[in-house]
Amino acid sequence: MEQRDFYKVYRVNMRTHDISQEPLPQSWERLGGRALLARILLDEVPPTCEPLGPFNKLIFAPGLLVGYSLSSCDRISIGTKSPLTGGIKESNAGGRTGFQLMQLGIRALIIEGKPDEEGWWLLHVDAQGAKFVEADEFVGKGVYETADALLERYGRKVAIALIGQGGEMQLSSAGIQHLDKDGVPSRISARGGVGAVMGSKGLKAIIFDGATGEKPPVADPKAFQAARKKYTQAVLNHPQSKVYHDYGTAAMTMMCQSLGSLPTRNFSNGQFEKAEFISGEYMRKIQLERDDECEVSHACMSGCVIQSSNVYGGPDGKVIVSPLEYETIGLMGSNLGIGDLDVIARMNREVNDLGLDSIEIGAALGVAAEAGLMDWGDGDRAMALIEEIRAGSPLGRILGSGASVTGKVFNIERVPAVKNQAMSAYDPRAIKGTGVTYATSPQGADHTCGLTIRAKVDHLDPKGKVDLSRGSQISMAGYDSLGACIFAGFGFSLVPEVISEFLNSRYGWDVEPSILKVLGKESLKLERAFNLRAGFTAADDRLPEWMTREPLPPHDAVFDVPGSELDMLFDW
Amino acid sequence: MIHINVRLHTILQRQTNQGLIDKVEVSLPIGSTMQDLLDYLRVELSPDALLLVINGIVADEETRLKDNDIINLMPAISGGESERLYF
Repeated sequence: MEQRDFYKVYRVNMRTHDISQEPLPQSWERLGGRALLARILLDEVPPTCEPLGPFNKLIFAPGLLVGYSLSSCDRISIGTKSPLTGGIKESNAGGRTGFQLMQLGIRALIIEGKPDEEGWWLLHVDAQGAKFVEADEFVGKGVYETADALLERYGRKVAIALIGQGGEMQLSSAGIQHLDKDGVPSRISARGGVGAVMGSKGLKAIIFDGATGEKPPVADPKAFQAARKKYTQAVLNHPQSKVYHDYGTAAMTMMCQSLGSLPTRNFSNGQFEKAEFISGEYMRKIQLERDDECEVSHACMSGCVIQSSNVYGGPDGKVIVSPLEYETIGLMGSNLGIGDLDVIARMNREVNDLGLDSIEIGAALGVAAEAGLMDWGDGDRAMALIEEIRAGSPLGRILGSGASVTGKVFNIERVPAVKNQAMSAYDPRAIKGTGVTYATSPQGADHTCGLTIRAKVDHLDPKGKVDLSRGSQISMAGYDSLGACIFAGFGFSLVPEVISEFLNSRYGWDVEPSILKVLGKESLKLERAFNLRAGFTAADDRLPEWMTREPLPPHDAVFDVPGSELDMLFDW
Repeated sequence: MIHINVRLHTILQRQTNQGLIDKVEVSLPIGSTMQDLLDYLRVELSPDALLLVINGIVADEETRLKDNDIINLMPAISGGESERLYF
């Protein structure tokens, strides 16, 4: 089939229940994932609109490389105007959703409008089209139970994107969950409240039956296979792939501890006395000992050779949560003074079931602890506070609205957030390049938008950090447009030309190896334009002021990259 | 001689008959550099593929070591400059 006939845009109106298929407009053809979302949002969503109102849209767009089980390259991006930041939002995830959308030829699924009447819906999408199914029976149910019931009904192979009670309550920390390759709904487009937008549209879940579709066409199969071979070999050969295979993202705990950037007790210290017990090395040790259902290396997407994920089992060897990742360990562990992986895993499971972002909730709990709502290190109390969210109590709704709202309500200045989005598990005073990314990213403080921790620089020195962050932000926005996992970058870093080889052989294009940067810059430019039209100013591109005043032990560092330099990040 | 405390991370840790080695104390001649330490420890990864941290600050292989330094050695990222990622 011709490229032009295969790919399409699906448009679904939640008020009228109209569903239409449209050809991919020429100006969207060469964009995917994050870049395509930025284009569509700027084209179709008024930047000043109410995020939970009828004029906002929720868009699913797989990246340009998605659909062929290339290792770590099947990610789905979800875009909307964020109810958390008030700006543009792209939140991506692994799992099955991206791959199956691409088998159906859907480059963008645009969900628009808002129902006039109460009631919840499922959307079922296959090669024959899309249809609405009533979903009231799933209301108030968690993500795990809902996913199980839907897999039972629609078959174990389908992809599902769904929300939990957090999304139903339209809480700003609510995400959208996806199934991993084993059917576990724990791959989450977590950040920025994308789940709240889905909830505002009365949509509980979308089921994609990709098996009814077909593989996307390839213009030059021979060249595509050659590129695939080269790329897979490069990923396998990279020394970092081995680290992530064996230790996962949790390897980051001790790196941050060494550099004094591990968020501890609501970002009041950069080192945690129990860091060793929440480290990747320790996690690997106890998981190998516990054996049974525990897996120290696990793939979230078919075809992934890095397998940085894991299945975390408790003392009895039975699964508690899959996966347990560094950001959760940092925000729900050291950030709360909790030095016990089993406790963190149980909290993670609970927020997953509610369909919430573990970073945002971890940060909100840190602020709550500072306000005296829990003692540092008290896992039982932390769990009880999460249960307040499940109950929908006033306190629960405050916490579920994120760290910034929690800080405002309880009069706590020390809130680790930018554009109201909580920081991930790197204190930016000790890793200043990452601080620049937190400050200036159109997405708000985000660990997927351009970390700098592994750069061989003096992370405490403010000099040169804007340049460092800029390069990292452009690359990451490029990878997010390809549907490439952050770890696919290992392979691409060794054979950068393979990106254009993939795109040219698949789509019949003639792009240069610089395409990664082209896509990255395009995304950032469009995102920034959206935010400016939404009313953002230089004041939104700053770290919280207390981080410029309050020294962070052990280096007693403050964030001192001048605002005038931050304002030059987008001058390229 | 100077005495250095070295902490090894992830794949640099070693499984031995005495158990897992994740910390070592090393004595080196005064004036030794990070490269001397890497040679002494027989670290197989090139300095380019390592993040070398002395007392919480990123250093390079030329950096001179001092008595009682605490050193963290961990695998870093390597690859083409233009596509370099830092996570």
